[in-house]
Amino acid sequence: MLRCRSIPVALCFLLLALVPTAYSAKNDPEPIVVKDPHYGEVLFHFYKEDYFPAIVRLLAAQKQGLISEHGEQAELLLGGLYLSYGHHLEAAAIFERLLADNVDLEIRDRTWFFLAKIWLQRGYLDKSQEALSYLSEDLPDNLQREAQMLQSQIYINSGQYERAIGLLENWKGRTEWASYAKFNLGVAMVRSGNVAAAEQILGELGELNPSNQELASLRDKANLALGYALLQDGQPLAAKEPLQRVRLEGPFSNKALLGVGWADAESENYRRALVPWMELRGRDMLDSAVQESMLAIPYALGKLDSISQAADHYLNAIEAFYEEANRIDRTIGFIQSGDIFNQFLADDPLDSTGWFWQLEELPEGPEARYLYHLLATHEFQEGLKNYRDLHYLNHNLEQWQGSVDVFANMLETRKQAYDERLPRVEDALGRADIDAMVQRKFEFDAQLDEIEQGYDWLALANEREFEMWGEIAGFESTPALGANIPEADEVRDKVLLLKGVLQWQLEKDFRDRLWRARRDVRKTGEALVEAQRSRRQIDDTMLNEPLHFEEFSNRVYGLGPKIDGMQLRVAEAMGEQRSFLESIAVGELRAQKQRLDAYTVQARFALAAIYDTAAAEEGAGE
Amino acid sequence: MVTNRLLISLIVSMLLVFSATSIAQETAVADAEAASREKFRSLDEDVQNLKKEVLDLNRDLFLLEEELLFPANSQVAFFVSLDVGEYFDLDSVNLKIDGKEVANYLYTEREAEALARGGVHRVHMANLKTGDHELIAIFTGAGPNIRDYRRGATLTFDKGIGAKYIELEITDRVKKQQPEFVIKEWE
Repeated sequence: MLRCRSIPVALCFLLLALVPTAYSAKNDPEPIVVKDPHYGEVLFHFYKEDYFPAIVRLLAAQKQGLISEHGEQAELLLGGLYLSYGHHLEAAAIFERLLADNVDLEIRDRTWFFLAKIWLQRGYLDKSQEALSYLSEDLPDNLQREAQMLQSQIYINSGQYERAIGLLENWKGRTEWASYAKFNLGVAMVRSGNVAAAEQILGELGELNPSNQELASLRDKANLALGYALLQDGQPLAAKEPLQRVRLEGPFSNKALLGVGWADAESENYRRALVPWMELRGRDMLDSAVQESMLAIPYALGKLDSISQAADHYLNAIEAFYEEANRIDRTIGFIQSGDIFNQFLADDPLDSTGWFWQLEELPEGPEARYLYHLLATHEFQEGLKNYRDLHYLNHNLEQWQGSVDVFANMLETRKQAYDERLPRVEDALGRADIDAMVQRKFEFDAQLDEIEQGYDWLALANEREFEMWGEIAGFESTPALGANIPEADEVRDKVLLLKGVLQWQLEKDFRDRLWRARRDVRKTGEALVEAQRSRRQIDDTMLNEPLHFEEFSNRVYGLGPKIDGMQLRVAEAMGEQRSFLESIAVGELRAQKQRLDAYTVQARFALAAIYDTAAAEEGAGE
Repeated sequence: MVTNRLLISLIVSMLLVFSATSIAQETAVADAEAASREKFRSLDEDVQNLKKEVLDLNRDLFLLEEELLFPANSQVAFFVSLDVGEYFDLDSVNLKIDGKEVANYLYTEREAEALARGGVHRVHMANLKTGDHELIAIFTGAGPNIRDYRRGATLTFDKGIGAKYIELEITDRVKKQQPEFVIKEWE
């Protein structure tokens, strides 16, 4: 017997791993006993994070009735495994069934909390909402805050801004979550059209003293959002302050620089506007802010009457946009060819399954630079997970297809060997008449009974003794011994002595010999019983083996087509998933290209206007 | 200032999908997002169903393989377990049945950790005839004070009709501060 941690303890471990918390020592799970080795084996795979094999083993053991000792615990473990594997709907079905009053409240809360999180990420807003409704009021503070955040996110994502505002306005506490709550509140307010209220909230957040990178990033985001909201609201001077608070090296710096430039431009201070815009010139063209700065610079130069310089910049911008648009076209072609996903699968080791997997890097190539930010979106990441899972399933089915062919061969070979051996076995069985042997055993028993009853000590003499007895009897009946002479008397006495000694010996050993004889007969009887049992087994085997072969054949030959069918469906689902991912990626690239096209049109118009003005001035001069 | 306004709107819509630009634009974006979410969900549900079916198929194939390769009447499974394991870091297990080497398993760090957390590893499956058999297991790893450690354990067991499970258990003998290796039939 083993001591180890089981479910719900294991489930608790799982959920603890999923939900970072300050898990106190008082919650350390009690070691308990693994009662079935197969259950322990499932745990082994579970702890190795090989969720797929763990689920298969657990399902198999359940079907065989091998983990009956663990009953409901095994079912909960299965739910946990499904959850880890990303099979969230099945996991939820189990939890809905089992996470009743008999399960520790904390485990139940954590489970529903985690499901709410997964479902929100996967866009199952209704289910996420439902999972949150199962949470108790005793949820630990840290989870309580995160759960509220999830709730607000659900409201925002489903367009219920007022409800989100209602929830977030009453936020209590000063933890990191409070900052995120403020940001979400600001977003909800802006989306509901209440910019003035949002200004105060985002402004407070924008002046936050960040204690870590995440908060620094959130602060930048709030400042940027506020800055642009003010710009849009026609308050360029007010917009500058939050925009200038954005870090120069952060991911939002390009947009902030662009915004600062626009704030100055809106105030008609074009010379100052050129400073941040010129800074953007050397940065990555992929960023829309950099692209836009290429238009903004000549726009400012035009306002400063540097017409010739402005025209040069417009021409440069048109050229740069053209090249960039071509690169985007090539990337779209590459994505539509499907090669990017083949490359992505080729780089993936397939050594683990599970919801925790995340693609950190796209395959190298010119297209990667356009798609990096897609990785940050839940839809693309979750779609990739599904695609990868489908690839794993396909690989798994391919392997089984190979195995099933081997099973079929194995079965045929066994059947052939059986058919070859059967006549020989039948022949041998025909020759071995066990019933006659049993009859003889009974006869021996009867004989021994007679010997015992008749005290027939001579019957138990061995061959040598029997010969001797015969020889002595022969001597006794020799006529010469009847002669009345001293020599004959002497020999007769010797014969009598010999006979007496032999009889004494045989009588002395009679009981012992009788016991040995009976023991041997009994052993023979036992061997015969064993032989009869073996015979019955052989008969059973001969009767059942063809049925077994048939049953195995049905399973082997039945599962092959099932695998084929499943492979087709998996391939089809992979195709659909790939199309979906392609549509996201291509849609994103097309949006980028449309933006470039719009910029190009604007640049051409501006350039044409410059040329027209120049031509008109030239005409007036002539 | 048309250019200026347009650019700002574009940036803002990218940043926060603000509604201020135009309600129509936001509605279009929201509709596209909702359609995309719907599509994702529909595909995700298909994938979930497929996963379930493939898992069930795997279960049937797993059982078929086991029943075909190791019929219940001759099946013997050998499991390795680790209880506490403070005095021993397992590297490998070597198994001999009736004098013949049948398994030599090297444990990865991840597997050793899974054992330490309470997992049970099925290290070997065999088909054995009914009757007595001798099992010798050699455990190697790092013992107390991280010294190389190699110990053996042996068991003679009777294989009857029906599957048999043998446990190779590594436990800690706290008093002696030494690991202990025991082979026993699973009770």
